[in-house]
Amino acid sequence: MILQDMKPTRRSFLVGSGSLAFALLAGGGVSVVRSAGAEPATAGLRDINGWVVINRDGSILIRFGAAEMGQGVNTSLPMIVAEELDAYWATVKVEQVSMDPDGIFGNPGFGGILFSAGSSSLEGYFDHLRRAGATARRILIHSAAAHWGVSPAQVTTEAGVLVNAASGKRMAYGDVVALPEIVTDIPAITDADLKPRADWRIIGSDPGRLDIPGKTRGAALYSIDVRLPGMLYAAQLLAPVEGESPVAVSDRSARDLPGVVQVVTLANSVAVLAERWETALAARDLLDVTWSEGSAFRKYGSEQELEELSRAVDDASLPAFAWESRGDAATALAQGTRKHAATYSTTHLYHAQMEPLNAVASVDEDGKGAEVWLGTQSQTISIGVAAGVLGTTPDRIRFHAMQMGGAFGRRTVFARDLLRDALLLSRAAGRPVKLMWTREDDVKNGWLRPATVHRLEATLDADGEVTAMSHRVASPSIMQFAFPTRWNPETGRDLLVMEGTESTDYAIPHFRAEHVITPRRCRVSAWRGIGWAPNCFARECFIDELAEQAGADQVTFRRNLLRNSPRGLAVLDAVVAMSGFGQAPQGRAHGLSFAGYKATRGAGVAEVSVEDGRFRVHRFWAAVDPGFAVHPDNLRAQVEGGILFGLSSLMRERASFTDGIIDQSNFYDYEPIRISDIPEIEVRIVESGAAPSGAGEIGVPMTGAAVANALRLLTGTTPRQMPFGVDVS
Amino acid sequence: MISLSINNKLVEVDTDPSTPLLWVLREHLGLVGTRFGCGAGLCGACTVHIDGEAFFACQTLVGDVADGRVVTIEGLSKQGDHPVQRAWIAEQVPQCGYCQSGQIMRAAALLARNPQPNRQDILDEMSANLCRCGTYARIVRAIERAAEEA
Repeated sequence: MILQDMKPTRRSFLVGSGSLAFALLAGGGVSVVRSAGAEPATAGLRDINGWVVINRDGSILIRFGAAEMGQGVNTSLPMIVAEELDAYWATVKVEQVSMDPDGIFGNPGFGGILFSAGSSSLEGYFDHLRRAGATARRILIHSAAAHWGVSPAQVTTEAGVLVNAASGKRMAYGDVVALPEIVTDIPAITDADLKPRADWRIIGSDPGRLDIPGKTRGAALYSIDVRLPGMLYAAQLLAPVEGESPVAVSDRSARDLPGVVQVVTLANSVAVLAERWETALAARDLLDVTWSEGSAFRKYGSEQELEELSRAVDDASLPAFAWESRGDAATALAQGTRKHAATYSTTHLYHAQMEPLNAVASVDEDGKGAEVWLGTQSQTISIGVAAGVLGTTPDRIRFHAMQMGGAFGRRTVFARDLLRDALLLSRAAGRPVKLMWTREDDVKNGWLRPATVHRLEATLDADGEVTAMSHRVASPSIMQFAFPTRWNPETGRDLLVMEGTESTDYAIPHFRAEHVITPRRCRVSAWRGIGWAPNCFARECFIDELAEQAGADQVTFRRNLLRNSPRGLAVLDAVVAMSGFGQAPQGRAHGLSFAGYKATRGAGVAEVSVEDGRFRVHRFWAAVDPGFAVHPDNLRAQVEGGILFGLSSLMRERASFTDGIIDQSNFYDYEPIRISDIPEIEVRIVESGAAPSGAGEIGVPMTGAAVANALRLLTGTTPRQMPFGVDVS
Repeated sequence: MISLSINNKLVEVDTDPSTPLLWVLREHLGLVGTRFGCGAGLCGACTVHIDGEAFFACQTLVGDVADGRVVTIEGLSKQGDHPVQRAWIAEQVPQCGYCQSGQIMRAAALLARNPQPNRQDILDEMSANLCRCGTYARIVRAIERAAEEA
């Protein structure tokens, strides 16, 4: 039996003798570090953190700054570097960046920090990674040119080989490592130096995802898999309601269990530390804790909150923050004669990532430093949290960003509590600690997608054109709660709630979207698709209803609204053609939704039937324009997954709470979609050639209205509350 | 001490017989490819083979498998080249990957019992396992491929 204990420090990927590490520094500078010997200067490499490391044996290590949670950035981001480097892809290995003390690896589109959310990695990194690859290639070219005594202009590359055509000389990239002189004084890369698209051979191709073989052998390591010498297991009895704390702890029988090492009282929990996990769990059951029970959240239930939201969305006297305004929607709506209005709602949702939250920490003897293993959407924020907990500086945190067993928004700032508690427990025990939540802990302590209620109003002119539309959303603010330091109470702009209401692809002269911020009644957070999912559900149901009022069919009506958006028209036309829209088999109906995600455009069609009061989605077609696809098969996989995530939320997912306590416990009462429920899915990528944008969430927002609009045709009524439930008659 | 046959090796484990097999595999033996998802037999992330059949390791007490042969994802094939594993790579199934050990073990048990399953057989069997990333369509294709190529 092989015990796969992890050593506290990671092995270097570097092999062979010698390597070159390249970094593109902020401001365009270049740093190259050469190391020699069988054990390359790992410390030196860590110090400069190069994007690209070329080894003597020709293998190439490419690092990526985003965090892998299933979206495939471990392959798609290195493909961009490899393209401009002109690397031979089969020699490429990749490594996720865990720490970035010099600020090299942050997402330029996310404030320059390591933060993976909002499908922003590809969009944010694309240009930067091309330059990083092109810079490394230019250094290789100049070095080979100097060695051969020719001009750099006379040296070209061919997939990992430098070539001087005039002399017929060739040199593998790995051989540059052994040259006596590496030329680093090179002209900066300009746009004109980047490969024209016609020359791309890696971007736009489908190499297999580099993480997949390991994942089929059970070899991928998540933080929950970490085992350290001397490690203790921690199970936590958490406060039943937010804001409460233990006031009396009776732990005698828990302590008496052989193998229990310590019982530690924390701010909002009591934790058992034991030599074994099964012991920690058993001892937790023996704890008798009296809680403060004074939390204001005990007053709240989710049904009540939905009623509050419904009242707020209708109460025009309540202040609302403008999110988007074009023309004068208020006046135009007041003057209109053909009016339509409707209200839609969505309930709270739980993330249900398959790996329950956990954290592993080993605090140093002096209590002022630690080694940490965590699945996190932001290495930078997690390191900051860890340093804050220990009252130390970030350089004392040796951080390991682990593959995540799903995240979907749960692991940004919303997972910092476990990291904090693992550190406090390790410091208390003087030993490494693995803190794990059970599924029940994960559900009961969920940070939910907030419930939302949407009021849409529009007026049509005599020709059936939409002259004015408003989209008013009532919901608590996620930003205010989760990012208080970045929250501006004056402007009240909450992109996590409001994005997706803008409707900028639609030619509507007078438009307004606004947010009525209601008091928070539970922990809220971002959820795959963020505001786009509920907002596009409401808007696209409403558009179908407007088309009916106007006496137009759903396609013609939307094509007219999209007349100024070539990208919008392209995906709409594509999905209509793919699905044979409107020609569903007997007993079924097609529903259409035009719903993007940020810069990515998308449209979907669902084919639905209803039998015995239950609906079934048989087929789903999606057309997606991500500008262009860097890794097309992975992009399709992301859209397929997003569609199922969205369908799951409209079929039966519903989190609720009573007296401040989440009612659900495990997958029996919070059940994501299973394989027997899935439709046949077809995804088509419609490339407009615009700058590349993300695909991790685009599948979600198109699902709600596509299914709801089909149900309207089948039953005569739009289901306006998500989830739609089984009884739609 | 409890003696177990795991991946064709005899091992001894010092724990209570009522400990779930899942904790023994993951935390005592370091066979972490078998995943913890729900602890209640609802998600299948912990699926292993006992005498060739798929079981939830979280619902199996270690004391009850002393006579059985347990195979985990680490022992499914020597080189990671079981037909199901090869099909999983060919169809590019995994995303986050967390549920995939369990999916592969259940699919392998299905094909061992029923080498040519129809689509309904596949859906019925695989409904025991959850995948939150939404790789289901590729799971179906991979099982069909494995059945064809085996």
